[in-house]
Amino acid sequence: MRMKKGKLALSLTLTFGLIATGCSSGGGKEGKESKEGETVTITHYTIDSPDRTFVEKLIPDFEAKHPNIKIKVTKAPYEQFDSKLQSSIAAKNSPDVTSHWGYGGFMEYYNKGMLMDLTPYLTGFSGADYDIPEDVMNIYKVDGKTYGIPLNSYVTVMLYNKDLFDKAGLKYPPTDYEDKSWTFDKMVDYAKKMTVDSKNLADAQYGVDFGFGERDQRPQYFGANVYSDDTWTNGGKPSEIRLTKPEVVEAYKKIYGLIYDQKVSPTPAFSKSVSGQFGDPFLSGKIAMSVVGSWSLAASSDFSFNVGVAAVPQGPNEKVRSVLYVDPLFVLKDSKHPKEALEWIKYLITAEVQEKSIELSGGNPPVNQKAAEKYYNNFEGIDPEQIKQVFEGAYKYGFESYNHLISNYSQINELFINELASVENGDKKVEDALPVIEGKLKDLLARVNK
Amino acid sequence: MSEVALAKQQPVRRKKTKIEFASIVGFLILLIVTIAMIMPLGFMLSTSLKTTKEMLVFPPTVIPKHFAWDNFKELFVNEEIKFGRQYLNSIIVAIATVIGTVFSSSFVAFGFARYKAKGSQFLFVLVLSTLMLPYPAIMIPQFLLFTKLGLHDSLLPLILPSFFASAYMIFLLKQFFTSIPNELYDAGRIDGCKEIRLYWNLTLPLSGPVIATVAIFSFIWSWNDLLAPVLYLDSQENFTLPIGMAAMLSSKFRIAPWNLMMAASLLSVLPIIVLFSIAQRRFVQGIVLTGIK
Repeated sequence: MRMKKGKLALSLTLTFGLIATGCSSGGGKEGKESKEGETVTITHYTIDSPDRTFVEKLIPDFEAKHPNIKIKVTKAPYEQFDSKLQSSIAAKNSPDVTSHWGYGGFMEYYNKGMLMDLTPYLTGFSGADYDIPEDVMNIYKVDGKTYGIPLNSYVTVMLYNKDLFDKAGLKYPPTDYEDKSWTFDKMVDYAKKMTVDSKNLADAQYGVDFGFGERDQRPQYFGANVYSDDTWTNGGKPSEIRLTKPEVVEAYKKIYGLIYDQKVSPTPAFSKSVSGQFGDPFLSGKIAMSVVGSWSLAASSDFSFNVGVAAVPQGPNEKVRSVLYVDPLFVLKDSKHPKEALEWIKYLITAEVQEKSIELSGGNPPVNQKAAEKYYNNFEGIDPEQIKQVFEGAYKYGFESYNHLISNYSQINELFINELASVENGDKKVEDALPVIEGKLKDLLARVNK
Repeated sequence: MSEVALAKQQPVRRKKTKIEFASIVGFLILLIVTIAMIMPLGFMLSTSLKTTKEMLVFPPTVIPKHFAWDNFKELFVNEEIKFGRQYLNSIIVAIATVIGTVFSSSFVAFGFARYKAKGSQFLFVLVLSTLMLPYPAIMIPQFLLFTKLGLHDSLLPLILPSFFASAYMIFLLKQFFTSIPNELYDAGRIDGCKEIRLYWNLTLPLSGPVIATVAIFSFIWSWNDLLAPVLYLDSQENFTLPIGMAAMLSSKFRIAPWNLMMAASLLSVLPIIVLFSIAQRRFVQGIVLTGIK
């Protein structure tokens, strides 16, 4: 019996020991307190997705060019990106470089004091040296201080199903933003001709899925603003909510009228049936036109139909026709090596690396305009000139995503999603839902923006 | 005589027919319910064998046009997914957690079940009250502790806590241990058994069903845990299956690889099915005996 007991104790110790030696990678941050000239390690925190983790393949080249800097990539799934980042910061184990790749946006990070002011380290740095347009560089500046360096720039585009257009005998929509004959009303006319509003899922198809920005930004297309103008200059904290103003109510009526009055857009139930909980119904081939982020282009070669790209039609707002999603890289406030972190960021925005990144990522749009030419040539079956025209028009008529500009956006966005669900499902009218949202939003902002 | 016998036989035959009819109805109901329950599994299997293009077709095909067996191979050979490594990590963590939970919790439960000391009831309530603490409440202090110990980005922070007993398992085991007759312990003591041997040679061998229950529960919890691994693990080679599978859906810039996801899901439920089929009899017995549902 004693023998058996001994064996048990031994096996337990061995199990423990093996796990301890086999699984531990040493932990801790190397080189945190290093002095000038010593090797430092920069942690690059990203979502665990091939279009982000490809940076690992760039590390050997960067480290060869910068022998004193080591790069360590840490990852988390998209859904858990924010919670892991918050926990790491709370535990004083913050990464050095990251972006707003989770639900939170730039202003949320900025207002929580998570970001480092890079201005003192940017002497001699100019966006023009990296072919980054001045207005794009300015997106992540607050009171003249730079908090983020742009890395990728997505825009809103219109994708259309060429097969459905051919079947309906319609001309493809234009790519030129200056072609003012391509209007919202014309899009609705086209959509009507391609819609089969049937209860039978197999027969039903819809003309347009109008996914312009997030729900609170959509009225901007119709010339109405949900938030007061001071929001864009005071750190993303709106002093007034305009959800009950007639122009905003009218805008939402037009948006949801596409589903229930014009019947040219799919209901949420239809979208979920053909594409699952989080998928894009356009991929099912049952939507003729989709106003969507340009990231959908990256998967165009996998579509089971021929796809085309076009300009977002001219709406009532002459200045805004596209939402820009410029992804920056931030250095977090707790970073002990901001200089070295900035070296890594600068490396990632050089024309050569941005070009290489298009291929490695599977089609991330570069912020460096020199590399953009290569990006336009990246999509099989779509004319590069057309993509270029669409992107250039989108930049000209673009407005940065509210997600990046408004403080505590993840909570605001969740409120809009939850409260507008009853309107989207056809259970409530726009004019009944908006006053309720306005009340709740005011309470929320009073609480979070104290 | 024979007429009487026939008259007697007839109602019996009718009764028999009734039972058969009821059985058929019952069987049909069960069959419908079974098909309804199996359908998602069937959909999972069907999607796991589709190509990306076929996966997007609507209405979806029930039987794939071309069986894409390569999806399963892709999981193991694709360097970006590292499914094999994640599978192994999950198995290491789950087995170590089962060992830790079974031994530590049974040891504590034995103490609470067999010894009455001043304040033991209070201590037991104190242990049970920790059940009310949600994981996020202890997440940051525990994270700080393991980071200071240099165990960040290793599997140890996921395993070590199980070696310090679980309140729920202690409760489950104590319920069972108190039902073992005192006479058995008295007999053991008369035969010269020390306390530790009463635990090891008497209590544990008599507690097969409840140990199986604890083992299965702790295995499933550890196997499915996502929050703690996300918090502690940074490198892909240390990731467990739930993180790896959540990461497959991470990119909003690409079409979610549902076919690979379904192949991974099929493979990930295998250990639980195997474990449950091995320990099923004892598991059900354990649930009945401890009154846990």
